[in-house]
Amino acid sequence: MNRRNFLSLTGTFTGGMLLLPDFLHAFGSQNSLVIGEQCLVFIQLNGGNDGLNTFIPYENPLYYDLRTKIAIGKDAVIGKNKGMAFHPALKDFAQMQQNGDLTVLQNVGYPEPVRSHFRSQEIWQTATDSNKYVNEGWLGRYLDLQCKDHQPTAGINLDSIDNLALKGIEPNAITVKDPNKFKIKNDKEETVKLSDNPQLDFVRKIANSVTEGSDDIQKALTKSTSEISYPKTGLSKNLEWISRLIKGNLNSKVYYTSLGGFDTHDNQLAIHERKLTELNDAIFSFYQDLKNAKLLQNVTIVVFSEFGRRVKDNGNGTDHGTAAPMFVIGGSNKGTILGKNPNLSTLDNGDLIHEIDFRSVYATLLQQKMNFDYSKIGINNKPLNGLF
Amino acid sequence: MNKSNLWSLRLGFSSKQASEIEKLGIAPFVQKSISASFTNDMPSFLNDDPKTLAELRELRLSIKNTTSDEQKKILKKQIKNAAELKKWWLDKMQQEAFPLREKMVCFWHNHFVSTSQKVKVNYWIYQQNYLLRENAFGNFKQLTKVMIQTNAMVRYLDNVDNKKDKINENLSRELLELFTLGIGNYTEDDIKNGARALAGLGLGEMDATYRKFQEDNSDKTYFGKTGNWKADDLVDLIFQQKNIPYLITRKILKWFIYDNPSEDLVTYYGDYFRKMNFEIAPLLTKIATEEYPKDTAGSKIKDPLVYLFQMIDELNIEDINTTLITFFLKQQGMDLFNQPNVKGWDGGNSWLTSQIYLQRNNVADLLCNGRNISRKTFDKTLEEGEQPNVVLEKIKVTIDFDKNGNNKKIISELSNRTLFKVNDSMQKDMENLLKYDFDAKEENANYGVLRLFNYIAKTPEYQLI
Repeated sequence: MNRRNFLSLTGTFTGGMLLLPDFLHAFGSQNSLVIGEQCLVFIQLNGGNDGLNTFIPYENPLYYDLRTKIAIGKDAVIGKNKGMAFHPALKDFAQMQQNGDLTVLQNVGYPEPVRSHFRSQEIWQTATDSNKYVNEGWLGRYLDLQCKDHQPTAGINLDSIDNLALKGIEPNAITVKDPNKFKIKNDKEETVKLSDNPQLDFVRKIANSVTEGSDDIQKALTKSTSEISYPKTGLSKNLEWISRLIKGNLNSKVYYTSLGGFDTHDNQLAIHERKLTELNDAIFSFYQDLKNAKLLQNVTIVVFSEFGRRVKDNGNGTDHGTAAPMFVIGGSNKGTILGKNPNLSTLDNGDLIHEIDFRSVYATLLQQKMNFDYSKIGINNKPLNGLF
Repeated sequence: MNKSNLWSLRLGFSSKQASEIEKLGIAPFVQKSISASFTNDMPSFLNDDPKTLAELRELRLSIKNTTSDEQKKILKKQIKNAAELKKWWLDKMQQEAFPLREKMVCFWHNHFVSTSQKVKVNYWIYQQNYLLRENAFGNFKQLTKVMIQTNAMVRYLDNVDNKKDKINENLSRELLELFTLGIGNYTEDDIKNGARALAGLGLGEMDATYRKFQEDNSDKTYFGKTGNWKADDLVDLIFQQKNIPYLITRKILKWFIYDNPSEDLVTYYGDYFRKMNFEIAPLLTKIATEEYPKDTAGSKIKDPLVYLFQMIDELNIEDINTTLITFFLKQQGMDLFNQPNVKGWDGGNSWLTSQIYLQRNNVADLLCNGRNISRKTFDKTLEEGEQPNVVLEKIKVTIDFDKNGNNKKIISELSNRTLFKVNDSMQKDMENLLKYDFDAKEENANYGVLRLFNYIAKTPEYQLI
């Protein structure tokens, strides 16, 4: 590992006066970093997705007893399989499972669960015990060790805020707020008035051109096109961009994006259906796109949330809970269901008791997809059998 | 943004004085800043540096008569002291309880530019800095007289080559074009005659002095008046011109408040400045007092000095290496005592290019993550006694926030302190970073708020005050 000083201000771009961090030059000459051309795509569902109404134990009478107002009916669920079935909005999840490309991991969580969004997301993003604190993300730590030199596009986060999961000692990941800005610029842009403050407009225009690794991203985008049409939602857009970056050989190892709105304390049926529809449609387009490009075996999509929700409803919604299902799509996974069906009778304070530690899933991904020794970043959980 | 935070950044370099402004009110705060005692002692590292012409001659002679190794050593020490001088001033800027004087010294040093690269004598550069500090809030006319008769200035603007029979117009031209009236307010003849009046004004033992055999004692006509004018007379004549107050008033408004001040304001304050006989203190007081209540936030791009000092203050960093600050400033185009040319830093939009912005973002990432800014190799320019610093050094960073507050309280606390404006999407992003169930009392809470500040520091809005 040849770790560099990040801010080694030695290179020169503009005739000597302004010196630049040398990584701006370094990435230009780097070749593919990815081993076996595998990459991971994380889709984080923010707010705590209700697992029990996502992958539903429709044959368990307790489910209907505890959720009198919000249970999904036996006749509505789809893709029935060993007593479990998908929410009707996830019809294409059922299809992908039918195709053998989607595995459900049941009851994923961690010991001593925390029911705070803020803290639980920190735990998932840093992969620590729930009473331990680390200031670098698990993927950031991985990229620190994996990247021989600083590589600004080894991880790509499509979001408006940085993601703790990708934060490492070296900045090996970038946050792209709006990939649109990588489109070829036209002259019109320069004169567009964004606000009534000319100074702010000036800074914003500069801000738009400021992304490390933007040349690489631009290159990948020009090498690829969208062959199928994605829905017009935020998540779809992000996945469409990710697909184009993958198809354009950007060779990033990790892509990360998120979908918010899962905190369904009230009016759950309508909200949840809308969010799951958005999720389903976006992921299915992405899936088809990758399949057409014959890349699905190289791309492992991971869908998770910081926690599931309380087993018993609170009326029209549900409160924060613990364990929930995780979904793995593509990457030659076995297309199965791992773990027992949720146990609705033995609960911890009304919440499910986790069976699979999420760090076992991380360990599996690192070991089997990234060919990386997960213990190097402090994960001690055993990898899962039967996922890939 | 809180007005007190905004004006602390404008009248100083960080938010440090916000509570004082809040407590005193803006006018008394400015008064106190003007009357506050200050030190102006020569830094001890200059003790052995040559100061008078005689000492310089002696040194030059001794270099001639020594081996090249010893010569190198002497020259190295000069270079090192030039760097020391920057650090000494930066420390001063950070330490003053009322930094307005240093802010004003910095303004003047960017107005009466003499770079150490060309002047080459550290003591003369320091001397100029000393005079600017003494006269920071004094009289502009008087200061102009003093400045054009410093050794630093006559060397920097080549007046040492301006002789009766071999005129050099450089100082004469800049006196009119850049220091006082500005282009369009004088003729080429004024420049020619001014140069004749300045002929022979060369290096003196301490200050610049006229040399008998090089000066021109014939009559010159300057702005329509004829006489055997000398440097002081030129300044007196210039300050009788009707447009004299506006260039400097515009520059002051730009330095403190507006990248693009309106000409109405320039005229308004300029006329007052003339009425006050070009005294800086009442002008500054009036500008601050009358502009403070106005809604002016976001009208100026932060210079690198404010950018970094504010961040150091926000993150409560105590042990940052001043050498690295000088290095950062140089990268960002604000090298102290070394402006690119006699015009000085343009300021405004020229403070930001995409590379400079990217570097600011990188520095924000590093510091917010508790890592010191560094440069890859000090080796090439390693000065005597300096330690190479090539590892990512960990530093302690914390951020102030209300430990009893919820996420929204903390978000508004931080944005009121640091952002001139918050739009809906930023608010959403911030509430995504610091969620509603964020626990400010938790052991790790500081890191959560640091991530919030890290986000803030990279927004375009943060670049403006």
